[in-house]
Amino acid sequence: MPNGRVVIGTMGMDQHELGAIAVARILRDAGMEVVYAGRFNTPHSLVRIAVDEDADVIGVSCHSWEYVQYIPELLRLLEEFDAEASVVLGGSVITTADAEMMKHEGVAAVFLSGASSEEIVSGISALVRDRQERLATATL
Amino acid sequence: MMDGESRGNFTRSGIPVKDFYQPADHTNGASEPPGSFPFTRGRRANAVAKGGWIQRTLSGEGDAKRSNELFRYIVGKGGTGLDVIGDSPTQSMIDGDHPLAVNSVGTQGVSLATGDDYRELLADIPLENISISFSAPALFAVSGLEIVAKERAVPLNRLRGSTILVPLYCEDVTYAIGMPFEARTRMSSDVIEYCAREMPRFHAFIEDTYYFSESGLNAVEEMALGFIEIRHLVREVLKRGIDIDSFAPRIAILVNCSMDFFEEIAKIRATRRLFAKMIRDEFGAKDPRSWSVVITSHTSGLTLTAQQLPNNIVRGTTQALALVLAGAHAIEVSAFDEALRAPSEQAHLVALRTQQIIEAETGVSKVVDPLGGSYYVEALTDEMEKRIRAMVEEIEARGEPSKLSDSGWFRAFFEEKMQRYQSQIDSGENVVVGVNAFQLPPAEDTLLRDVSETKIAPCRERIEALRQFRASRDLNRTRASLMKLRDRVLEGNNLVPAVIEATQAKATMGEMAGVIRQAYGFPYDPHGVVQPLI
Repeated sequence: MPNGRVVIGTMGMDQHELGAIAVARILRDAGMEVVYAGRFNTPHSLVRIAVDEDADVIGVSCHSWEYVQYIPELLRLLEEFDAEASVVLGGSVITTADAEMMKHEGVAAVFLSGASSEEIVSGISALVRDRQERLATATL
Repeated sequence: MMDGESRGNFTRSGIPVKDFYQPADHTNGASEPPGSFPFTRGRRANAVAKGGWIQRTLSGEGDAKRSNELFRYIVGKGGTGLDVIGDSPTQSMIDGDHPLAVNSVGTQGVSLATGDDYRELLADIPLENISISFSAPALFAVSGLEIVAKERAVPLNRLRGSTILVPLYCEDVTYAIGMPFEARTRMSSDVIEYCAREMPRFHAFIEDTYYFSESGLNAVEEMALGFIEIRHLVREVLKRGIDIDSFAPRIAILVNCSMDFFEEIAKIRATRRLFAKMIRDEFGAKDPRSWSVVITSHTSGLTLTAQQLPNNIVRGTTQALALVLAGAHAIEVSAFDEALRAPSEQAHLVALRTQQIIEAETGVSKVVDPLGGSYYVEALTDEMEKRIRAMVEEIEARGEPSKLSDSGWFRAFFEEKMQRYQSQIDSGENVVVGVNAFQLPPAEDTLLRDVSETKIAPCRERIEALRQFRASRDLNRTRASLMKLRDRVLEGNNLVPAVIEATQAKATMGEMAGVIRQAYGFPYDPHGVVQPLI
């Protein structure tokens, strides 16, 4: 699994899928495996998918403010289930101030509106490498 | 098209554009005066003298009471129409106390579920004078409006406003409501039929091409899909034995207005012409009022950027000007902070002022169709008409809309356009100032930023209020009304009276929608959480 496995979805009633579908395709084109979780996810459903699929990264596309409430819960659940997946966010509604707040909460990366495909791919690839190195060290 | 021609020589829809235009460039250009068939130049010959077009701002947040305060603020500032937007749970036909709605209730619109909500929403709003447009599920919005009007003794035939319908595409690209194609089409047809009889001035048939074109469709694709939907719904309503002239005069199209200035104007002119020919020659409408379609519009939210927010005011102004020159009947300017949030009060006011400045200061609305006769605009109008018609024919040749919907053809169409839109910005093929050109470092991009940082918190008190509403009602009466609604669905009767009755018996929208879903063999709750009441 050298290129990484990424779960992509939106949460709650956030139904604008444009960003999620576009990013899923960008990552697939870059050789990654994408588990497309679609719309209407909850922190529980995303964590379950991430654990079942042994995902390196969970990418949440944010086009409503619901993420502000959902992300802390998602991070807590990941810890609870001992899942090593990193959480990344992307979407037009995220302001620079909110991005800082989310990183402080434990989100690994935030891609703001206007982020290029290259930035997204290289940012996520780095997180995949980190996790795989951590796992390799842990099994030694 | 010669090789090596730059992108700059095409419209956004890919129509090749010449350096200049001459009389020979348009063949069947509009030589008739405005107000005459085929209405390319406008519905009426007289310029809007006083009052102008209807100037709306899209609004609604929190619960009905809070939204009502916002509406009274807008009316007090001179707004002549209200555009009520439901929050995402409401648009998706689930109640605000649904577990999946906990973080969205009341944030991007108003939470509407009960008859009391409509009473509070419309309190002290003069229903006789203010046109009320509902961006909320039509079946329930029309029922709520009727209940309030009757209680306040406002004759139904005085009610003006509209409600949007996108039955063909809602599962694919807008709010999913968890209902099959057949149920969606039926609910829309029921509302059209009911309003044709009871609310003759209310536009119950708003073809909303805005919503689905926001996924990155170009102007030709937007109108082609719009006409596919109009044609499907007209055929459905005609099958019920309803006279075309009893509902066609109240058909309106809510179009998007993007940044390609002349193409958007040509799109609207071509749409009026296509509609007139279609409704008269194909569907046999005899009343001249049926021939001229009302065009309303929102300026494009998709073209607004999170970067350099003041630029969005310029975009809104440019698009609004195009709409006025094209003769739009009602306009809503998307607020400058829309890329980041549900619009703030300040941004709403700027949007309203944009329209007021265009109307009161520029003088552009003194003459109907001021661009009529422009070689370029007439040529572009002809070309848009040709291309929209060709695409409608091409899609209809693929099969019935129900088949295309069930097979996922529409869904694939939208996904492809989303992808195209994204890659055109990524590649720089489409220049968006502040995004892929003329950027500012975030530290310098501060103007109006403070407005966009404030958030509307989920209206959690709404959850408790709905629980109390459920606990305080006569459950037997509510259940009986829901069973009656289910029977009506199965019998094939018009659903509006049964929805009004169930609303009076304190059934909520989520419960009524659930019963309709079940009657069509779909899950009561699309998210599998809430238990059915009957």
